[in-house]
Amino acid sequence: MNDVWRLSRLVVCNFIFVLLLASRIFPVFAADHLDEIKSRGVLLWGADAEGGAPYVFPDPDKPEQLTGFEYDFAGALAAKFGVKAKMVQNQWDQLIPALDRGNFDIALNGLEITSDNQQHIIMSLPYFVYAQQIVTRKNTSGLTKLENLKGRAVGVLSATVAQRLVEQMGGADMRIYPGNVECFRDLKSERIEAVVQDLPIALYYAKPDVELKLSGEPFAPGYYGIGVRKQDTTLTAAINKAIKELSEDGTLEKICRKYGIWDQRQAGLKEYQPEAVAQRKSISTLREWPKYLPLLLRGAVTTVELSVLGMALAVTVGLLIVLMRLYAVVPLRWLARAYVEVVRGTPLLIQLFLIYYGLPQVGIKLNAFLAGVLGLGLNYAASEAENYRAGIQSIPKGQMEAAFALGMSWSQALRRVILPQALRLVIPPVTNDFIAMFKDSSIVSVITMVELTKVYGMLAMSTYDYIGLGLMTAGIYFALSYPASILAGRLEERLRYDRR
Amino acid sequence: MIAVEKLVKSYNSNRVLHGVDHTQAQGEAVVLIGPSGCGKSTFLRCLNQLEIADSGRITIGGLTIDGGHMPRTSAEREQQRQLRIRAGMVFQQFNLFPHRTVLQNITESPVVVKGISKSEAESQARELLAKVGLEKKADAYPAQLSGGQQQRVAIARALAMEPQVMLFDEPTSALDPELRDEVLRVMRQLVEEGMTMIVVTHEMQFARDMADRVLFFDGGQVTESGTPEEIFSNPKHARTREFLSKVATR
Ligand SMILES: Nc1ncnc2c1ncn2[C@@H]1O[C@H](COP(=O)(O)OP(=O)(O)O)[C@@H](O)[C@H]1O
Ligand SMILES: [Mg+2]
Repeated sequence: MNDVWRLSRLVVCNFIFVLLLASRIFPVFAADHLDEIKSRGVLLWGADAEGGAPYVFPDPDKPEQLTGFEYDFAGALAAKFGVKAKMVQNQWDQLIPALDRGNFDIALNGLEITSDNQQHIIMSLPYFVYAQQIVTRKNTSGLTKLENLKGRAVGVLSATVAQRLVEQMGGADMRIYPGNVECFRDLKSERIEAVVQDLPIALYYAKPDVELKLSGEPFAPGYYGIGVRKQDTTLTAAINKAIKELSEDGTLEKICRKYGIWDQRQAGLKEYQPEAVAQRKSISTLREWPKYLPLLLRGAVTTVELSVLGMALAVTVGLLIVLMRLYAVVPLRWLARAYVEVVRGTPLLIQLFLIYYGLPQVGIKLNAFLAGVLGLGLNYAASEAENYRAGIQSIPKGQMEAAFALGMSWSQALRRVILPQALRLVIPPVTNDFIAMFKDSSIVSVITMVELTKVYGMLAMSTYDYIGLGLMTAGIYFALSYPASILAGRLEERLRYDRR
Repeated sequence: MIAVEKLVKSYNSNRVLHGVDHTQAQGEAVVLIGPSGCGKSTFLRCLNQLEIADSGRITIGGLTIDGGHMPRTSAEREQQRQLRIRAGMVFQQFNLFPHRTVLQNITESPVVVKGISKSEAESQARELLAKVGLEKKADAYPAQLSGGQQQRVAIARALAMEPQVMLFDEPTSALDPELRDEVLRVMRQLVEEGMTMIVVTHEMQFARDMADRVLFFDGGQVTESGTPEEIFSNPKHARTREFLSKVATR
């Protein structure tokens, strides 16, 4: 018990230290940024070029070069200030926190002017009028209105208006995607029945695709604006002035037409009236924990299911692999060895993408949970095989010989003499891997699984309380993994046979 | 009981056994002596199939296996196992199973290999433990025993399979001198009970007292063979004399 106390004290101390350190490293900014941008000569704009067409994306003809209507727009904007524009890559659903942290001067990437977004940052005048569009497969009919999507599997992009609309409607099986490309791919492989997307995205990705169609009329129009930090009021005024000029002199229309997204809706830009945003009081999720903790715990259940099943798969497959590698005939040995090397030499993320998005192309369609378990399990199987191998090879040769000399067959010797000794030796490394997988499992959010870290991310985005939710989430992870390591220690102690 | 014909064994290009011939009657105790590296261990390991001879023929208790290839069919593997069951082996390093108690070490193979009931195996194991003087240690783990005690358990473990022949490969070499006698005492008792055994050892007193026959092994062959009296008092070959004088002055 003393140990537990000492360890938890250590953990708390470390945590405080990290917080202190973080507060020193995070830059503190001057009151306004416009002067700094001008003296620097560069306007840093945050955006996500991954699956970012038609906003900002690598030019298909020259992949090292970016293109897109926002890329052109940012260039035009920067020219108004007499500076150059430089894009800073940032995951789309984290643009606002990154802006707040000071990673770039403005966030310019299809940010919707919503009261949610305006809680934490200023939104500029709009530069584009978007609407929502339902996309389905060619042969689907009847899904022309949002209400038709009740009871259907519907894909949306994380942290978008579409996500909020589908959420508010309720009754749909909503899947949340980190990028545009993935949700259309799942639509085509029939994992989902519809995608709700901002119109420009739908126009760019789905319209030219022979398997997909835009279903029904665009609805729920809204405005894209540029995100600016709250204290940057001078910068905001300068940006608004520049947007007005670009809109009036036709530059904006020209840019949009270049990418085929100018429509009569854009007339709305001139009629835009900023609404007064009611500031909600900031939320302390720690104080309101009865509301948030259950949501996090529901995510934790998924995390536990994923990692327990994943680990069960890993220890089983790992055993098969090591037996093949050590004892099978030559081609199988090579196969086992190649498996270990290839799996350990490639990122888990890529393996998950291959399993979830790649396998459907050869006719194997797994749901996200199965794909997650399979990805984690098969990935960790390689490590477990190596753990077993170290364990088995540290058993003296004389053990196998003694078993043979007593008349045991190879499999009897393995089962009754070698493996029981080796398995005890590998309890500590396998436990470490289990705890590592427990944390690694958060990566499956890229294939639409909503587990603990994803729940944290979603809640943090809507409440903006990164610290309170972060403490709760970290607490849950710790509360789950610490007992696992204690249990493993007990098990190891119980299986000790070398005490004197 | 044992018949070995023209046994040849090489490790890669290094020929270790050069066509060994050996016959041994039931109840006969043979001690194998010879310089280090001359192939004594290899000979014993071929006898119970831990090594596969390149050529030659081994017969133990009426069961014959020819060298030349690894067992391929399940019938061949079964033959190999039968030969191993006939020949109990005691290793220099004991090789007890550390994760099993003394009693479990002894009962493991009778239960798993022979399929006899656990209770029967346990009562037999306790008798064997009494015989080697360790009935009180049944529930200890090997790590809790001295080397001499471990080797006595290893002997009991081999005896539990009721072998027709016992093979000892330097059973006392890994032991401190003061622990050797307790092991040798058990081996003497086995000789007196008429166990057929081959003992590789540097314990010349044991050879003098207990061997029916002493073989001098050199360069992968039996170069001299006779009663202890003949070998120790009147060795014919210079190599034998040289070896004996080295051992005596040690
Ligand atoms: N597994 C092996 N691989 C290669 N050479 C071996 C192996 N085992 C034994 N030898 C060689 O065979 C020869 C005889 O060894 P061994 O039978 O152990 O001799 P002894 O028991 O008489 O000391 C030695 O030269 C040794 O180096
Ligand atoms: Mg030897």
